[in-house]
Amino acid sequence: MADTGADGGHTMNPKRTEIVEELNRLMAEELEGFLRYFQMRYRLKGIDRLAADKFFSHAHEETLEHAEDIAKQIRSLGETPRLNIHLSAGGGPTTLTEALQETLAVEQQALDAYKEMLPRVVGDPVLEDFIRKQISTETEHVQEIKTLLG
Amino acid sequence: METWKEFDANELTHSAAHHLLAIHELGEQYGGWARVSDIARQLGITRGSVSINLRGLKKRGLVETDEHHMVRLSVEGERYVAGLTAKKAAVQAFLTDVLNVSALQAEIDSCKIEHLVSEETLERLNEFLVKWRTQERTVVTR
Repeated sequence: MADTGADGGHTMNPKRTEIVEELNRLMAEELEGFLRYFQMRYRLKGIDRLAADKFFSHAHEETLEHAEDIAKQIRSLGETPRLNIHLSAGGGPTTLTEALQETLAVEQQALDAYKEMLPRVVGDPVLEDFIRKQISTETEHVQEIKTLLG
Repeated sequence: METWKEFDANELTHSAAHHLLAIHELGEQYGGWARVSDIARQLGITRGSVSINLRGLKKRGLVETDEHHMVRLSVEGERYVAGLTAKKAAVQAFLTDVLNVSALQAEIDSCKIEHLVSEETLERLNEFLVKWRTQERTVVTR
């Protein structure tokens, strides 16, 4: 949880540093997802692409929005977002089922990451609310993909 | 022979080999099981990347997962890691003991090579090291 000083501003402490590091990791997860979804739209072909383009376009936009939201949270803690990504997204054409399975793996990890973050921010009204919303959103995503996979 | 094509014929990529090594190391603390978050931290990549890479390793029967998204090496995965560790040790010993390469550089270079070395080469390298040590040959000096 982040400490707040008499002026309501955040004060530096080791716990806050950890939270910022964790937020940076979450931002990297979201931005990597953004890049993966971008590529995924072009790995799908024919009828699969037609069927899933809207889904992946939406996912692509939403992950960027999530990354923006996290960056804003980092900024509100008085820090600058730091991005550490080592991504080499290979892979040729894929099927819709494969694409959704890959997406489920990524979304499930994002959900787990937010869930693990929650205990660290309990008591901080802003961050706790933010992480809870993210958990809710990611839970919906995971459920949606599971439903699509049948 | 078109040797360059051999790189594509390798069992696993360098990255995949390091995923297996990370699972092995982390698993030593928790009865063989490792968390995706810890693997990601150890390798300096995102959980999403680890998760996608694990799918490939799972398909090859090298890792197993449970309902809590924990990961461990399969018997085949353990065998692969044991082979990898043996190859790294042999290459490292050759570089330090025979070629007099510094310990740090030998560590780096053996890490790059370990997953590319064949079983036959490992066997011959170990035979050579045994003979070389017995005969106490002079190391390569710089």
